[in-house]
Amino acid sequence: MTNAIAPTNSAHAIPGSSARAGRGSIKMSARAVNVHYGATHAVKDAVLDISINEVTALIGPSGCGKSTLLRCFNRMNDDIVGCRVTGDIRLDGEPINDSEMDVVELRARVGMVFQKPYPFPKSIEENIAYGPRIHGLAKKGMELDAIVERSLQRAGLWDEVRDRLGSPANSLSGGQQQRLCIARALAVDPEVILMDEPCSALDPIATAKVEELIDELRGGYAIAIVTHNLQQAARISQKTAFFHMGQLIEYGPTSEIFTNPKVQKTNDYITGRYG
Amino acid sequence: MRSNQLSIAVLALASVALWAGHASARDQIRIVGSSTVYPFSTVVAEEFGRSTSFKTPIVESTGTGGGLKLFCAGAGLDTPDIANASRRIKSSEIELCQKNGVSKIIEVEIGYDGIAIARSKESNSIDLTLKQIFLALAREVPTPSGEFVANPNITWKDVDPSLPDIKIEVLGPPPTSGTRDAFNELAMEGGCKTFPEIEALEKTDKTTYKRICQSIREDGAYVEAGENDNLIVQKLVANPSALGIFGFSFLDQNRDRIRGSLVNGVESDFDNIASGKYPVSRPLFFYVKGEHIGTIPGISEYVNEFIGEKAIGDYGYLADRGLIPAPSDERKLIRADVNAGKVVKLAAEN
Amino acid sequence: MVDPRSHWQSESFKRRLRRRNASERRFRFFGVAAVLVAGAALSLLLVSVLSNGLGAAYRTEFALDVEFDPEILGIETPPPGEAVEILASADFGAILRTSLMRRFPEAEGRSEIRELTALLSRGASAELADRLRAKPALLGQRARIWIPTSDDVNFLLKSRESDSGANPSTRLSDRQVGWVDALMDEDRVANRFNSRFFTAGDSREPELAGIGGALIGTALTLLVTLAVSFPLGVSAAIYLEEFAPDNRWTRLLEVNINNLAAVPSIVFGLLGLAVFLGLFGMPRSAPVVGGLTLALMTLPVIIIASRASIAAVPFWIRESARGLGASPVQVVAHQVLPIAMPGIVTGTLLGLARAMGETAPLLMIGMVAFIVDVPTNFADASSALPVQIFLWADSPERGFVEKVSGAILVLLALLAILNGAAIMLRQRFEQRW
Ligand SMILES: Nc1ncnc2c1ncn2[C@@H]1O[C@H](COP(=O)(O)OP(=O)(O)OP(=O)(O)O)[C@@H](O)[C@H]1O
Ligand SMILES: [Mg+2]
Repeated sequence: MTNAIAPTNSAHAIPGSSARAGRGSIKMSARAVNVHYGATHAVKDAVLDISINEVTALIGPSGCGKSTLLRCFNRMNDDIVGCRVTGDIRLDGEPINDSEMDVVELRARVGMVFQKPYPFPKSIEENIAYGPRIHGLAKKGMELDAIVERSLQRAGLWDEVRDRLGSPANSLSGGQQQRLCIARALAVDPEVILMDEPCSALDPIATAKVEELIDELRGGYAIAIVTHNLQQAARISQKTAFFHMGQLIEYGPTSEIFTNPKVQKTNDYITGRYG
Repeated sequence: MRSNQLSIAVLALASVALWAGHASARDQIRIVGSSTVYPFSTVVAEEFGRSTSFKTPIVESTGTGGGLKLFCAGAGLDTPDIANASRRIKSSEIELCQKNGVSKIIEVEIGYDGIAIARSKESNSIDLTLKQIFLALAREVPTPSGEFVANPNITWKDVDPSLPDIKIEVLGPPPTSGTRDAFNELAMEGGCKTFPEIEALEKTDKTTYKRICQSIREDGAYVEAGENDNLIVQKLVANPSALGIFGFSFLDQNRDRIRGSLVNGVESDFDNIASGKYPVSRPLFFYVKGEHIGTIPGISEYVNEFIGEKAIGDYGYLADRGLIPAPSDERKLIRADVNAGKVVKLAAEN
Repeated sequence: MVDPRSHWQSESFKRRLRRRNASERRFRFFGVAAVLVAGAALSLLLVSVLSNGLGAAYRTEFALDVEFDPEILGIETPPPGEAVEILASADFGAILRTSLMRRFPEAEGRSEIRELTALLSRGASAELADRLRAKPALLGQRARIWIPTSDDVNFLLKSRESDSGANPSTRLSDRQVGWVDALMDEDRVANRFNSRFFTAGDSREPELAGIGGALIGTALTLLVTLAVSFPLGVSAAIYLEEFAPDNRWTRLLEVNINNLAAVPSIVFGLLGLAVFLGLFGMPRSAPVVGGLTLALMTLPVIIIASRASIAAVPFWIRESARGLGASPVQVVAHQVLPIAMPGIVTGTLLGLARAMGETAPLLMIGMVAFIVDVPTNFADASSALPVQIFLWADSPERGFVEKVSGAILVLLALLAILNGAAIMLRQRFEQRW
């Protein structure tokens, strides 16, 4: 993977943003990010910040590069053959594409929840314990048990599964599985959580639960979420970024984007005129 | 993790297995060679192992040619000590041996093997000449005008009016078998030579001679029944009109079910084969690597067991297994030669 | 517009429907017929092997009154409590002869006595020696002992059973048949279970021959095959599937591996001969060489099965593990391999089952051999079960027909166990998504 990037120290102005000030300070920042899949230019000069104690929503029509950009934040694109990422992405001011940054450490600090609930074909407990175990976060079984319990509690799943920690994770319902995957990511104790359409496979009740959960988690993490559900974005996010054809069109506080978009395309999209 | 431990254990096992491959010096005789001699050689080996304190020799059935090739590969202890052969060693093989440092080759003739042409006991015995056998089975046969045509004979009566009017149906070994080689050489070629014009060919055009005399028809009259002679015996019992071709020992072991045909008026029995009256018979040999005698324990004792009256004598246990003993004078000569340590020489050296 | 209802009810539509149903029935009929034919062929094989093979573990024995005369044997009676020392020269044959002659005093002259002793197995005296070794108290005693007969006696009894005794065909002389009848009248002839069949090495006497040596040879050989081909095959599969770059070379490699799996097994024998015997100077006929040779043959099978099995592990398993910060090796070792393992093991067992049935490669490295001693380690000369079957099938003695079927039964049972284990592992560990 060639990440020939010129570190840009001065922060770019984010096009279309009205204010840079937010609730939290910036945890991760992306500047001039370009992603190519072979000949496909999937992300064009993207710019995005993920801040502490905030949920940043990425919205836009299908195929506009939301997932691709999100995956840049923990370098999941590294493993895709033919994918080329350039640009400057930083975590706490450190460039993550730098050779100093270990990808294993990065992914421990920047956790990811995928679109479909994909638990490992193992027991509920083992699913949660896997991350801490490989990172050596817990030495003794008791410590590990504590991490499992805490993570499940934070994901709001503890009460439902406390009596069946040993049963296969596949036996959970879809919504429970998605929360399990969130708990699995939390167990590693990340600083940032990336979520790619976490509710797309869930019914309204499970969705509500996960949304509630995301809102609670906001207190301790910097969260970025990709969603097609505009109401969801409006409900749970503080910042919203609207993408179109690989380009960031508008970025700003969610309330402003949804009530008073500055760009016509954004307005068209949120009012359902296309997309 | 568990899978890591598993693979480490497996690797350890593999290295142990490899390490075990470095064996110490050999204390067991190794014999290779002819599948025709194999049944006799193994019986002697077993008896030898039972009656002496030596280990039972290992006998491989590799075929005569393959066996001699291994035998002549060198004089080192990783080469066999004895090669069984259903024919005499060729001069090219002696040369190979000498080139590789095997010069003390001791030849031991053990007796004779006959090739039986047999039928089920339910049908009458049949008397065939070599010429009739050739005419029935050759791919091409000569016409009175001296040309060669594809074999037109369908029944035995077509071959010779004196023979019964039944379809020619012969079960025999495939070309890969030593029995087939011997049959081609002794029966087919023998019948072939009875035509003077073909015999003349041997001098002038050897390839044509070989092709005419040693090609067996492929139109279904001759059925290749596989290497397994037992199978031929079973098929003969099931089909009384068919004839089968196999080693004499199989006839001897199955006398209650099948009977041998007369060839040139001679019955295939011990006496006729030993005296050479029965035409389809050949001598059997084994060759000893003189260099190994004294190094590998038991070689001389094994040879003595083999050539003793108890084994290859007229009433020896090999006769029970279908080996046809050589006449007793010949046996004496064999023993004298072996005891004198007579070594095989190239024709030029004699 | 045509009214669709009239279309569904039209004559031509009904005809099409009838034809469709008929072809459906035909297809099912052919399917059932195919299954029936295959089943019939299989049961025919089983019935014939079973009917022949069950006898393999039995042999005919005579109960003889044997006197262990220390004088004939040349053995001194040891002080009580000490083991008897049995010399190689001890003539147990003489003891058996005496016993038979005492029972049949009418046999006179060398040839008649030879006919009499020919009724016994050639290995009878060796077995008698074993009996004495196991029970030294017999020395100087007279005891009734079951002695194996030659296979001709066995065949006499068999042919009587099948031909309802009318005109039994036999290689025995009338006199010999008379003696056997006399013993039968005294209930001294029986077909008894022959444990030697499962423990002994090869022999040219059917009643003495056993598959023990071949079984152990097969076990040692397959152990080496497994130990070499499994780790190598799985590692190669993991590398090719998870780490190797997708370029011309790896594709070439892949094509070659697939080709190797289809190469005739004899070629691997030639390779084993050239490399292990020729280059490394390993011993002939040894299970270690057989195992390595069969490992070469099994390797492509395991690589292909493992690759398929690894490739079948869903992409998102790797994605999820990586997302949690697992390194590529951890992803494979912790998530991919455990999921792929049932498939890998199944492929390995099937590969081993195939290796177990091979004779051709073993021919080249000298394992197709007459070997009496049961091997005790990886470097001992040994044969293998299919080799034993092949050698016996080619023996002129008719007693081996039964032994062949018996050995085939054992081989089939082993194959069934291996394949059964493969199915069981698959069902137990298979993941359903
Ligand atoms: N692995 C890949 N290989 C090649 N092209 C890809 C790959 N993944 C994505 N793309 C392409 O990159 C572009 C952006 O895809 P991406 O998955 O980021 O879209 P998205 O905005 O997440 O869409 P959706 O809302 O449908 O999930 C698309 O044109 C897609 O075809
Ligand atoms: Mg997406």
